[in-house]
Amino acid sequence: MSATRALTLPARVLWHAFFWTYERATWQYDLMVIAILAFVWLPPPGWLGDPMASGQPGLVELVLRLLR
Amino acid sequence: MTFTGAVGALCMFPLRLIIAACVALRIHPNVLTFVGVLINVVAAYYLATGRFIRAGFIMIVANIFDFIDGKVAIELGAVSKFGGFWDSVIDRFSDLALFIGLIYLYAERGRTDYVMITAIASTFALMTSYTRARAESLIPKCKVGFMERPERIVLFMIGAFTNRMAAVLWVILVLSIFTVADRIIHTWMELRRHERGAAA
Repeated sequence: MSATRALTLPARVLWHAFFWTYERATWQYDLMVIAILAFVWLPPPGWLGDPMASGQPGLVELVLRLLR
Repeated sequence: MTFTGAVGALCMFPLRLIIAACVALRIHPNVLTFVGVLINVVAAYYLATGRFIRAGFIMIVANIFDFIDGKVAIELGAVSKFGGFWDSVIDRFSDLALFIGLIYLYAERGRTDYVMITAIASTFALMTSYTRARAESLIPKCKVGFMERPERIVLFMIGAFTNRMAAVLWVILVLSIFTVADRIIHTWMELRRHERGAAA
């Protein structure tokens, strides 16, 4: 989109993440999937007040526990 | 090949066998579509009772039916305008069934916050389809925005299998809002471009 050429790189990345026009199975799609999975799995469910999983550890906490 | 492309190719392998079996049995694609929604209602029941793992497995079965109906229609030479219409209407019922299952679960646990999040997420999930259908009556194509049905279904499965449904609902909510906004903006821009072209 020509309007985005005037934007800085971070603003352009945010614009393209918001105004999504990429197909499935592209590297941009993969990045979005990684970001979503990180949001879903990494933080402890208690942070979102998850009614079914509050009190369970997030993935980061789980890995740290295993390493100890 | 990208990561998601590789996962897609891997999943296609067993699906091809199922498609071949349905074609050999000459099962009508509209029947497959209908069976898909019935199985999704069962998945919704298990979501409503908090049995997420079982719901996840049933969602896999239901969505196999949802996925293969179009492919079977092509293989059988049974592609029809009504089939496309039937498929998209039934898909909306399948979506709503899963959301209603979760609304029941959270309501029973007295979590009005998540009842609201699920209800708003379901509204925008429906609006995602509506905006595209309505836009494509005005412009040739409106395939923008990330959160379409396959993404939503895979997220539901991830939420069910890993017990992270709350995070999944937040993702569906936020990205569905973005998708609806994308489609409105895209349609407005396309119509404006068309009107300017006609005026010039």
